[in-house]
Amino acid sequence: MSAEAALIARAEAILPGAVIITLERRLKTALAVAAFLIVFLACCYDLGLSWDVLGGGLVKMGTILGAMWPPTSGGELARLLLALVQTLAIAVLGTLLAALVAIPLGLAAARNIVPNPAIHFAIRRFMDLFRGIPVLVWALILVAAVGLGPIPGILAIAFSDIPRLGKLFAEALENVDARQQDSLRATGSSTPGVFRFGVVPQLLPVWLSQCLYYLEQNFRAAAVVGVVGAGGIGFELEERIRIFAFDEVAFITLMYIIVVGIVDFGSERLRAHLT
Amino acid sequence: MKDSAASTGTSSLNRVAAIESEWRQTIRKSRLQTFAWMILVSIILLGSVELSAVGKSSVDAGWIDRIASFVDRLIPDLKADALFAGRQVDGSLASWFYDLPRWLEAMRETVAMAFVGTVVGGLMALGLSFQAAANLNPNAFLRHTVRRGFDAARTIPDVILALIFAAAFSLGAVAGMLTIIITTMGSLGKLFSECMENAEMNQVDAIEAVGGNRLLQLRFGILPQLLPQILSYWLLRMEINLSVAAALGIVGAGGIGMELERAISFTEFDTYLAILILIVFCIFVIDLVSEQLRHRLIGLTQ
Repeated sequence: MSAEAALIARAEAILPGAVIITLERRLKTALAVAAFLIVFLACCYDLGLSWDVLGGGLVKMGTILGAMWPPTSGGELARLLLALVQTLAIAVLGTLLAALVAIPLGLAAARNIVPNPAIHFAIRRFMDLFRGIPVLVWALILVAAVGLGPIPGILAIAFSDIPRLGKLFAEALENVDARQQDSLRATGSSTPGVFRFGVVPQLLPVWLSQCLYYLEQNFRAAAVVGVVGAGGIGFELEERIRIFAFDEVAFITLMYIIVVGIVDFGSERLRAHLT
Repeated sequence: MKDSAASTGTSSLNRVAAIESEWRQTIRKSRLQTFAWMILVSIILLGSVELSAVGKSSVDAGWIDRIASFVDRLIPDLKADALFAGRQVDGSLASWFYDLPRWLEAMRETVAMAFVGTVVGGLMALGLSFQAAANLNPNAFLRHTVRRGFDAARTIPDVILALIFAAAFSLGAVAGMLTIIITTMGSLGKLFSECMENAEMNQVDAIEAVGGNRLLQLRFGILPQLLPQILSYWLLRMEINLSVAAALGIVGAGGIGMELERAISFTEFDTYLAILILIVFCIFVIDLVSEQLRHRLIGLTQ
């Protein structure tokens, strides 16, 4: 018994609280859990959650899921495929536009390009501010500003990605190994030469793979912005949900999931090849 | 002597020539590859422009002008002398944010939606991720089923899920919460199961050796070593879900997004800007708090 007590005492000496948990610590944990539960229940109450709501909804959900089988294209397969390709096109153009604007921003936000801390700090905070705006919020406002069609979709994707890509581009620039530039300078290269052979070869694969990753994400975003009227597959889906044509919704969703899988796979292979 | 020196000279010259020609070939090959890639990318871009039908419809003409006039309507006409006057005075801040109490209430609903959705979705992800980790679940069929389930939950656009849930549970915050539960389950489930596959199995073996059952093995062997990582992913998802929740309201899933929708449909564009500022501010504050918490969590493990 005393041997055990001695063992416990030794363990406590090495790491206090390892074996004996004091009443104070237990109380603190209990209080934290209680506070968390109270907040959680208050939130549930605020949302108007009740068994009636959930039960009734689940019954309707069952009906909807039942209506999804069997999935059917509704005889408009060609049109749906075109909408899907259009969605991809919106994603490609949005990503391209975002990358083109993000490059100068990334350059200006990189510590090793712009030595003035005030400038890159300001640009970074500015980008942080816009990073929080979801793509759907951009799309809603741009559809109101520009009108229905692919242009607001492209712009929405570009606007929401510019700050994100800009930040990544700046970080990639800061991670460039300076020793290659030093050796080029030591052998007498001019500044453009240093940039071309000391920076670009290290930077390009990273930037390209970041763009590809965002392209994957934007294929999803392009489907989302279609719902508020920016064209593509989202528009078709929204239409069919509104008229409760859930068998066609199921078909489009399945088709979409498969194409997303293919695009992700291709882009992942390319990115693995790049880096 | 002279002969052999000359022959080694020519042979080394030959070798240099061979290396050079090989180098030239490599360069030519890489240039050709780059060229081929550029052509492919150009074709994709041209095809995208063609397919997206940008500039084809008559509605597209003059879109830059329309944006300019829109921006003009977006910015409220604040008057410097009446900035802090009451709500009835035109050009005051209070008249710009004229419905602030209701927006704050809607924002609270959005936060509640994101919070409940993240907590429940995260718990479901945690429960299922044990089944998706190769080192904890030897049953390949079950493992792949759970993984494909996570993939599907991530891939279906959240807005579409929200529309379907709104059809079943009626418009409102419950539909948004359910959407967030599903998408959170998909994304966190994948991250959690990847964490678990990187976990040390020694602790699990030790608990098995002293007679602990499966549940005890997971509770005391796996969870303690992964808890900081899991909690930090969870908090990160909470940040993401807040902006997701704000956006979902636009399609009728409750919260602040519905106010955005209302502002647009009443063409009160300056109100839209006011609500947007509120959203950005809230997301910014919660990001800061959550970042602090995450850094503390990571610090605890060191």
